Formats: sequence, structure tokens, C-alpha cells
Amino acid sequence: MSSSNDYKKTVDAAIANPKLSKALHLFGDSYLIARENAYKGLDFEEMRNELSDMKDEVRINRKQLLAEFVKNAEAAGSTVFLAKDTKEANDYVIRLAKDKGATLIAKSKSMVSEEAHFNKAVAAHGIRAAETDLGEWIVQLAGQRPSHMVMPAIHMFKEEVAELFSKESGEPISPEINTLVNHARTRLRKEYFDADIGLTGANFLVANTGGIGLVTNEGNARLCATLPKVHVVFASIHKLVRNMEDAIKITRLLPRNATGQLLTSYVTWIKGCVPTDGEQKEQHIILIDGGREALYESKTCQDALKCIQCGACANVCPVFQTVGGHVFGSIYISAIGVILTAFYEGLDKAKDITRACIGCRSCVAVCPSKIDLEEIILHLKSEVTKEYGMGVIKNVAFKAIMKNRGLFHSMVRAASKLQLPVTHKNRVPGQQRIIRHLPLHFMEKDFTEWRDLPAIAAKSFRDQFDNIPQTLFNPDYRVGFFVGCGGDFVYPEVGVALIKVLNSLNVEVVFPKGQSCCGIPALYSGDTATGIDLAKQSVEALSEEDLDYILCICPTCTMGVKRDFVDRLADHPQWAAKARALAEKTMDASAFLENILGASNKLDCVAPGESVTYHDSCHLKRGSDVWKEPRALLNSIGHEVVEMKNSDRCCGFGGTYSFLGQPQISKQITADKVDTIKTTGVKTVAMDCPGCMIMLKGAVGKADDSIRCVHTIELLAEAIDKKKKQN
Amino acid sequence: MTEKYLEKFTTTAKRVGAVVLQLDSLQDAANYISSTTQGLTLVPETPLARRHSLRSLLQDAGVDVFDGNFREAGHFPAGGVTFCNFCMADSGTVVLESTDEDIRLATTLPEVHFIIVDPAKILVDNLAAVAPMTTMHEGSDPLFVAYITGPSRTADVERVLTIGCHGPRELHILLVNNISNDLMEN
Ligand code: SF4
Ligand code: SF4
Repeated sequence: MSSSNDYKKTVDAAIANPKLSKALHLFGDSYLIARENAYKGLDFEEMRNELSDMKDEVRINRKQLLAEFVKNAEAAGSTVFLAKDTKEANDYVIRLAKDKGATLIAKSKSMVSEEAHFNKAVAAHGIRAAETDLGEWIVQLAGQRPSHMVMPAIHMFKEEVAELFSKESGEPISPEINTLVNHARTRLRKEYFDADIGLTGANFLVANTGGIGLVTNEGNARLCATLPKVHVVFASIHKLVRNMEDAIKITRLLPRNATGQLLTSYVTWIKGCVPTDGEQKEQHIILIDGGREALYESKTCQDALKCIQCGACANVCPVFQTVGGHVFGSIYISAIGVILTAFYEGLDKAKDITRACIGCRSCVAVCPSKIDLEEIILHLKSEVTKEYGMGVIKNVAFKAIMKNRGLFHSMVRAASKLQLPVTHKNRVPGQQRIIRHLPLHFMEKDFTEWRDLPAIAAKSFRDQFDNIPQTLFNPDYRVGFFVGCGGDFVYPEVGVALIKVLNSLNVEVVFPKGQSCCGIPALYSGDTATGIDLAKQSVEALSEEDLDYILCICPTCTMGVKRDFVDRLADHPQWAAKARALAEKTMDASAFLENILGASNKLDCVAPGESVTYHDSCHLKRGSDVWKEPRALLNSIGHEVVEMKNSDRCCGFGGTYSFLGQPQISKQITADKVDTIKTTGVKTVAMDCPGCMIMLKGAVGKADDSIRCVHTIELLAEAIDKKKKQN
Repeated sequence: MTEKYLEKFTTTAKRVGAVVLQLDSLQDAANYISSTTQGLTLVPETPLARRHSLRSLLQDAGVDVFDGNFREAGHFPAGGVTFCNFCMADSGTVVLESTDEDIRLATTLPEVHFIIVDPAKILVDNLAAVAPMTTMHEGSDPLFVAYITGPSRTADVERVLTIGCHGPRELHILLVNNISNDLMEN
């Protein structure tokens, strides 16, 4: 428990210091631009599919490839040592140093040496490990650990660096970046010359050559591998690749994805014992397992070993940008850090950061190895919950209430009657349905301090549906509507609007009443059992009638049906096929309107001539690849879509995350979104997700109540109404 | 292996901060190096350097060519001059097989690295480098190959790109025809 409390404190401390978060945001923005430029003319999807397949091959044939690497490396004169864990690896180097009488190791970057707490381990034997990578050196001087895999000192400012350098050198050094870099250049050059051993990591272990590859910018790894007479390679086994071609292909992705460079300043290929000062160099390659074999064996998490350590999953992560890598990570940080921490350091160490993931899938979209990081984290969430529980609130909410559809729905109905609406002064009429106190008494207090919360609708969609007339005689399609909790209980008007829009295009809407919550909130909280139960309820209900399509107005529900129902029911023979069939025909309403009906050519409504900005919901853009469709629809009814900056950046909702899990982190992420919306100067924000609506209506409302947040489908329905009035 | 990638190579190499110059002869290259650098210059004896008498050419042009063990030329010699094996146009990269330690020292320690490139050695992209790289790696002899793309750089302080971290601060690529079109020699 105490560790969770400590974690909360670190979150609070990070949030209290917005300087870092601001810097990480600026970095995140410029990163995206640089990355886009770097991939111009290349097909990222194709490249990452290839890399992912390549890494699958390596996993399957890893034993042979490892043997091949060892054989070839030894033939070129290398001494290879297989270390089952990091301690064995450290001990090997300590023994070697003692044999050589070595007291100084010049070290370039090796992430696995961080994992091994290498510097500390050798220091205990009187051996000094000198970090020569600038960022690593800064972090070493500060007695910290890296907060980013590619830029270890990304959390530091030049003044702090100057202070560290001044202290170390005993002379004042001014906080100018050029001066600082120059100082490091001069100061560290001595280390390479004096060192008895040079230690590097390896980005690649090339099986069919027995050589290694190093991808660097500063040039320190080349010096570490050249000047000292002994070269130690400290590498983990998952860096294996089959051959030179594979390695070269990875060099096409790694720098582009890490820093937006076409190639780093140096890529260095070293095989065996090259000559040094008239002799042969001594090269020791230490190949470290350190839990990787176990990770390879984990069906659900093994893809994490496809990681090429580009750091991109951090660069784009809203949680990382808000609290930094020291909070959101351990040795490895951000998305991949959550997973590796769980495996290499234990679930206990990982439980808080696992829960800190908001599930926005930004990391998945940029990962060059195509790792579904979010899905793996989701799996870990359920492990964490199994091990440590969910906390009382979620336990009551999910297990006792949500699982029982009748109870859940009647509680919501009751809540809607009990809640005390508080009308905001200044609130525009029609938007008054916002309350300051949460209706659901299983939620904690104090959520309304920074954003209004929506009220539960007086009448849920399920209670309204039967009274909505649909007079179509020969509909082109009959579609089932999977309304989702947000659409059912908070914004039933979106469902009503959907019926209007679909009817106008000759599509009939069916509402299977047995449907329940998609279960993602439970799943995201790690409650798999409840998730499976809810999946069955909805699969049953939605498969009852023979419907052409199933439509959602909430992309998280779509993802629930398409991905999670299928996954959760895969091992339940009588359910698996049904779930798959359902997944095939489920999509978001906007996607159906545009891709199946071609609605942007048919709607033919009056041009309201209004400017609208569009917020891409995480699960719509990255879960279903739907983002062109709503824009096309909005344009077709005469709206001008003014793009906001980073339109696909998370709004901070993340379901229960913003209420129960990590409200402080959520708050910061939302504040960013509100700022970018305000900057457009546009007064209408369209989106396709009730979750985002809850978040943004509340937060935008507090910031500027002249801005309206609305579902795309509602704007379509309004255009239809306007046209009717005009006729 | 054609000059048609020259333009692309020149653009991409310049973009990453290299100086790229087209010169008429090795003599011009020697004069340029002499006028650009002052101080000890490391010039490793490679097959191409021998064939083209690079060291004496530079010496005659007034370059202070270092004689002796390169490790004793100080921590920051002024210059290093080498040929190259081949280049890659898409990223502006120069590839230099550097198994001989003198080549490594001449390309890592100096403030400025001059690299003489025959445009006939420019490959279209790094995928085209797979074949020569694979050939180089054949057999079990020790090998050290360097891809060099622009000068040394870092963004480790406040994510600001800063040139000249631990490697050469400047990379001058001197394009001279008729040096060699053999990708295996430098
Ligand atoms: S899903 Fe979103 S919040 Fe979670 S790790 Fe990935 S980028 Fe970060
Ligand atoms: S998980 Fe993917 S995005 Fe993250 S560091 Fe690894 S390769 Fe890069």
C-alpha cells in the first residue's frame, strides 16, 4: 500500500512542477513533425509489418539464431558469455576487470546495464564506470536514473546541468548549451584514453556474421570501442537479428522513429577482435537473458520483445508528457516501460504505472515494431487486479452492480431521479443539464472541482426507444444499435439523432434491449471476469435478430465488440464464433454513414456555413482508423472543419480513469485539449464519442461556456431538421 | 553505382550538416584541406591512400601530416583525412571500413574529418548497401565498419540539437572523380 501512496505523491509532485510537462509537450509536438518528415515517401505501415514479422521469426528461431551468433562471434575471436541474469553479467565484468587490474571502464549507452545497476555493482569493487553518453553522464552526476530511453536527461534544464558540471569540475560553467556540450567533450575525452575497458551496448546482434551494430549520434560508442584495449559488449538476447539485411532494415526505422533523423550520425558495425595499438583487441560479448526467455514464453506479452527502443511510445504518450518518465516508468519508461517493469522488476513494482495508462493507443500508432502496447497493458491491468484488487469503489461498481444488468440500469434510473441539478449561472439554455455532484454515489467526492460533470438523463435511451416512430416501408438496411452507457444514460439525444439521420437515408434502427455495458470500463480496471460476463450479455442480445450491421456511437464500444468481445470469448466454444460474426459487422455510425451509405453525397442538406473544429477520439482514430469519415460528413452539410492542433491527442477521459484512477493526470491532459480548442477560435467542437463529450463538455464549459461540444451525429440531425423547416 | 545519385546525396548530406564540395582533382582536395585546417592531421595509410600518394600530396600542399602512432597525436588532433568505401544517397551517409585502427582514430578523434568520395561510389539508398555490407562481412576475419552521417551531434541538453559532441565537429565531403569505383576498397 505504501508504495501506492508514494506513487501518488510523485504524481502530485510532478504536476506541481509544470515546467517539465511544458517542455515535454513542446518536444512531443516537434517530434511528430520531424517524424512525419522523416517518413516522407516511405510506407510506415509496410515497414513496420515487415519488422514485426522479422521479430516473430527471431522469437521462434531464437535458440538456433543465438547458437549461430555465438559460433560466428567466436570464430572472429570474440569471447561470448551467456548470463542468465544481470547479476551474472555484472559478476563477469567484475572478474574480468580484476584479472586485468582494470579500475576504469569507459561506458557508452546500454539500457540493460541500467537494468543491471551496473555502475553501482562495479563501484562496490573499486571499479569506476564512467558514463560517456552526454545524457547518461548528466544523469549519473545527478545520482538519478534516465527518464527517457533515447534522451536520458530529458527532464533536466540547462541551469541544472551547469550546476552539476560546475560541481564536478570545480570551476564555474555557464548554462549555455554549447558551453555545456563542449565541456563534456573535453572532460570525457580523457576517460576513453585512460580507461582499461570500453563498454558498449548493442542495437543488433547479427546472427549470420557474429557481429554487433551500434546506432548512435554522439560518437562516444565508437571511442569506447576503439581506445581501450578491451571491449565489453553488454547486450540483451532479444537484440538478435538474422542477418545484415534485417539489421539494415531496422536502421531505416529506428532513427526515423526515435528522433526524426533519416540516420543517426553513426552506425557502427563491429565483428570480433579488431587490431588495437599493434595487438589484437580483446572482445567479450555478454548476452543477458534477465527474464527475457520468460517473456518470450508469455503468449500475451511476448510482443514486448519486439521493441527496438526508439522511445517513441513515450514521446507521444499524454501520461508521459504530463508527469515525465521518472513517474511513468522505472528503468524503462512509458508504455514499454510498464510492460518491462512488470516482467523484469515484478508486478508489485509495476502496479501503479500499469493503472496510470489511460488507454489512448497513441503509443500503438507510432510503434515501429507494431506492438499492441495498450492491449498488453490491458492484460497486465487484469493481472494487477487479480493480485492486488481494484479498490473498494470499483469492486462494488463493477462486480456487484454492472454485472447485474437489471440492477445497474435501475440504479442509474434511480440516480437520475435523486440527483440535484445545479444550474450554472451564465449557462446557455439547453446546456443546463450539468451537475456539480456526481449522481452515482459509488464515486468519490471532489470530482467537480475542475470540470462539470454531466447529469444522468431524465430518461435513458432504452426507455425512449419504443416511442420513437420509424416509418420506413422498405428499408435498404436494418441495423442494430449498440448504444453504450454514455449514449444510453448521459446523452440519449445522440441515439435519437442517429435514428433521424439513418431514417432519412432509408435505414431502419433496431434496439436489442438485452444489451449491456460493453465492459471496457471493467476491463480497463482489470476486472476480466466482469468483462467476460458483460461480453456474453451483449453478444447474446445483438445476435438475436438477423441484422445487417451493428452501429455504435461510442468508439470504445466498437472496439469492445470488435476486439475485446472476440478476445474474451475466444476460449468459450459456444461464444467464439458468435462474437467473431458480430465483430465483422460492427462499426461506428460515422463509418457506416460514409463508407457503406456514401452519406456525404446523399445528405444534401442546407449549408449552415458554420465553422466546426473536430476532436479525434483515441479509440476512433487509432482503434478503428476512422477520422476522414466524420470530416467528410461535416463538410457535406456545409460546415467548414477548422483543424485544431494535435486533434488526435487524448482528451483525458479514459473512462473510469478520470474519475477513480488518476484524476490529477487526467486533469492536466484535459487542460491541454481545452487550450488547443480555444486557440482555434471556433465555437463548435464536434466529436464522435460520448466519453470525450463528458470530459470536454465539462471542462470546456468551465473554461469558456460559449463553446459547444457536440456529437457529429447530432450536427447531421440538426442539418436535416433545418432542411425540413426550409421546405 | 552511378553519378545520378550525386545530387540527392549532396542535398541529404548537407541537410545533416556536412560540407559537400565538388573538386576537380586530388590536388585541389589537398589544397582545400591545407587551407581549411591547421595543426596535426591524421592520414591513415590505406590501399587507396597509397595508390594516390595521399600523404605526400597533402604534405606538399602544406598540411601538417602526423607521423607516428596516432594514439600519441593528442586528444584532439586538428584533422583526419580518409577515402571511403561507398555512400548512400537517401540519407547522405558515407561508409568507411575501419578495421585498421588508424582509420578509426583518424575519424573519431580529430576536430574535422575530411572524406574524399568518388561519385561513382554513391548508392541509391541503404537497402542497396545490403549487398556490399554482406560481402564485407563474409568469412570470420575481424571487421569494423562505420556509417557516418554528418558531424557528431547530441540533443541531450534540453533537446536542442548541438553539433560536435564526442566525434568530429565538422565533416567535409570532397567529391573527386576517378579515385576508385570498387566498393570494397578505401
Ligand atoms: S495507451 Fe496512451 S496512455 Fe497508455 S501508454 Fe499508450 S500512449 Fe500512454
Ligand atoms: S515499444 Fe515500440 S515505440 Fe516503444 S520504444 Fe519500443 S519500439 Fe519504440
